[in-house]
Amino acid sequence: MHNTLYPKPSFDQCIKCNACVIDCPVSNVSLDFGGPKHLGPELKRLIENNEYIDDSRIDLCTLCGNCDLSCPENVQVSTLLAFSKEAHAEIAGTKFRDFVLANAETVGKLASVFAPITNLALKMKPVRKIMEGVMGLDSERLFPSYRFKNFNRIYKKKTANTKRKVAYYAGCYATYNAPEIAEAFVKVMEYNGIEVAKPDQKCCGIPMFANGQMKQGKKNAEYNINSFLEYTRQGYDVVVTCTSCTLALKKEYIMYLQSEGAHELARHVYDADEYLRMLHAEGELNTNFAEMNVKAGYYAPCHMKSQGIGNPAMDILSLIPGYEITDVAAGCCGQCGTYGFKKEKQDISLSIGKSMAEAVEEVNADYTVTECGMCKNALDQLTSKKTIHPMIVLAEAYEKAEKRS
Amino acid sequence: MTKLIETDVIVIGGGMTGAGVLRDLAARGVKAVLVERGDLGSGTSTRNHGLLHSGCRYVVRDEDAAIESYHENLILKKTLPGAIDETGGLYVKVPGDDDDYVKLWVEANRKVGIPVEEIPVAKALEMEPFLSKDIEAAFLTPDGALDPFVMVVDIVADAVSRGAKVLTYHKAVKILKSQNRVTGAVVQNSITGEEIEIRAKMVVNSAGPWSGQVASLAEVPLHMINNRGMLVIFAHRFNKHGIFRLRKPGDAEAFIPTRNVTLFGTTGINTDDPDDTSLDRQEMIGMLREGMPLVPKIFEMRLIRAFSGNRPLYQENGADDPSGRNVTRGMALLDHQNRDGLEGFITITGGKLTTFRYMAEKTVDLVCEKLGVSAKCTTHEEVVPHRDAKEFFKTVDMAPAAKNKIRQWAGLRAKSIEETMKKEKVNTPICECEQVTWAEAESVIPENEGFNIEGIRRRTRLGMGPCQGTFCNFRMAAVAVEKGITSAKEASRELYHSVMERKKGMGVVATGETAKQLQMMEAIYRISLGLRQEAEAHV
Repeated sequence: MHNTLYPKPSFDQCIKCNACVIDCPVSNVSLDFGGPKHLGPELKRLIENNEYIDDSRIDLCTLCGNCDLSCPENVQVSTLLAFSKEAHAEIAGTKFRDFVLANAETVGKLASVFAPITNLALKMKPVRKIMEGVMGLDSERLFPSYRFKNFNRIYKKKTANTKRKVAYYAGCYATYNAPEIAEAFVKVMEYNGIEVAKPDQKCCGIPMFANGQMKQGKKNAEYNINSFLEYTRQGYDVVVTCTSCTLALKKEYIMYLQSEGAHELARHVYDADEYLRMLHAEGELNTNFAEMNVKAGYYAPCHMKSQGIGNPAMDILSLIPGYEITDVAAGCCGQCGTYGFKKEKQDISLSIGKSMAEAVEEVNADYTVTECGMCKNALDQLTSKKTIHPMIVLAEAYEKAEKRS
Repeated sequence: MTKLIETDVIVIGGGMTGAGVLRDLAARGVKAVLVERGDLGSGTSTRNHGLLHSGCRYVVRDEDAAIESYHENLILKKTLPGAIDETGGLYVKVPGDDDDYVKLWVEANRKVGIPVEEIPVAKALEMEPFLSKDIEAAFLTPDGALDPFVMVVDIVADAVSRGAKVLTYHKAVKILKSQNRVTGAVVQNSITGEEIEIRAKMVVNSAGPWSGQVASLAEVPLHMINNRGMLVIFAHRFNKHGIFRLRKPGDAEAFIPTRNVTLFGTTGINTDDPDDTSLDRQEMIGMLREGMPLVPKIFEMRLIRAFSGNRPLYQENGADDPSGRNVTRGMALLDHQNRDGLEGFITITGGKLTTFRYMAEKTVDLVCEKLGVSAKCTTHEEVVPHRDAKEFFKTVDMAPAAKNKIRQWAGLRAKSIEETMKKEKVNTPICECEQVTWAEAESVIPENEGFNIEGIRRRTRLGMGPCQGTFCNFRMAAVAVEKGITSAKEASRELYHSVMERKKGMGVVATGETAKQLQMMEAIYRISLGLRQEAEAHV
């Protein structure tokens, strides 16, 4: 049942060099994890047409994707790990906690309705202690707050009529926790004369894949593929402001579904800054930015690195006059989506985050720029600096320039 | 002064046949000493597909050999559970192969009673997705996989537990005679050069391709047709069944899944030198091309190494067939008293891995007749202890894959390995590809025989995975020195031998990941560790 066939048995290509182990954030702080090489290609080889070997340590993998990047032989390590997570969840069962975390969207919808109460409760120590005791949620870890006025309530535009048309994939975080990011994105597009449509969409599935809920994740993937293909076939570009969602649409859907649709959609997907960088290259970007005398640090989320497109946010923000941006050049933040909320992962999560925090303090910028809402969660908690999404900075630079003129 | 041993029977050749003879002798209460110039099974016995024949491969041409094979197939499944993987076989007809042969084959199987069952092509493709979509017919057969490494070691261990003696790394240098009868042999320790005189009533020559050499020690003419066959190992076990091409037996037509790999072969070229296990890349390419009608993606799949071994074929009147395909696979039991007028000397050769037990039975029947022993053969009923050790290692702190390996593998050593593991606490595999821990490796290092990585490999699968010892060979050598099992000097010499041996099999593959793997291995051993041939000078 667990002998999933891949288009190419990429696990066969592993030459055991250990590059993935060296680059694995978890292996770097803990010997309790078997490491990506063992739990990925090595284990896959051992179970082919043999007895299945279930290794519960797969839970410690964050699916950050650094292993894929480091592999010199193009082994799809993280895909193998994701399928192991699925198999392990089937064998060992899924904790209620992990089910809740995997379903970030449902939680977001509910929490958003009762936002004031939810937020208050999530900040109360006794409530957090109960959550830790009952659900295994780390009481030391702060949760992002939820907004009643979520993006779904604010923005209902389903079509665009400009020359370039954007189909915006907002993702759960910008929808329920930080609608200001989504709003800033729409504004930035407006300044570039591009209308933004928001197609029907569901959670990208990343939290589901990470919690072994592969089936549900694939269902969401199918939904999003179908919904967005209707747009891309009419000439829309798919633009995303969350790096994990971008990775899902660009790569994970292809790896997990191996469908024609997944391949077709991926060809139209852009990270928001990547999109702006493309506009700039085409000579279409509005560069009327106000001067901003800011020294910023850029923290690249793992799922941005996994896309292999460099640091487009830095490329764009450095177009703002006076804006100085430095790459923090740190590894993983340790939050890793839902990972950092789990009690039993607290030590690993915080140890991973430690070197990131040190790097941020060392750069000593005015604030940190990052795209990922979950990285922001760790940055907010572990560093003394504020964390801002690049779209918010850009929207501000455009607005200031407009007011001045 | 030469050491002296007295026994009833000397068995020369510690391959599968010799092991079987030794166990049968011990089971019948006959005192015996097995003499092997290298390690157990280091010759032909571990240089093959590891195929448990059902007999149906030979059924059209040689009915008797087929019946013999099927009979033994059933016995071994019962009596050698630790070494057998009941994969089942799948005989497949591809376009262009003779339809009439298929009819003959089905009919012949029916006649001798080998159960073969035709299944729809679609079902075969579902079971074995790597098979060509063009196949025209598929039959399930009772073939299986044998692990010859486990087999030879376990059978000898069982013989030893019944009182037999074993001298590995001892080469027979002289067969002692008094007039027209054999009185013993002189054997020489191949490490120290020390000689031992063994006095015995009979000598059994079970030296496989080296049988001619052993016979010449007794001045008996024996011409073996040594037929070299090449095989390749795929990096993972991609098929469930043994897959065979349904046609008149020829080259390159069996894919056998065994442990964590699939073996494919073979070729057949007659050679004069039984030590010739040379590898030829063109021969390998030709063989892979022959495999394409069954597995079209064969050239895209990763190979980890190639190897070759010599089939000991024997035909009383000689044969001038250079491929060796038409020489009988039946066994040859030669009573040199009748044949050459030398009493007390028997050669058992030819035959198949699958029929080793039967060969041993017939040989020992003859020995017993000559010695006047009336005990009957019991090896068709007595079970060799299983490797399964599921009741052990439950509380040992180790990763599931390593635990899985040791619980399928430890057998009678389970208790002592478990104790070591509990004591040492660190049970991280030394060989990651095949999940071999130090505790397991240590349990197979023989006392007083020196440290030998190849010996550990044969007994544990250390270094048999895709990286071919890139990492585990040096770990093994280092840990062994640290634990005081060996000296740094001996360890470097062993390391050098071991790396060279792995390199030989990888070099002929020469492409893809294995070429890169080899480069990495070279970089680690030559550059990082500075391993040089000078290490050999210590011998």
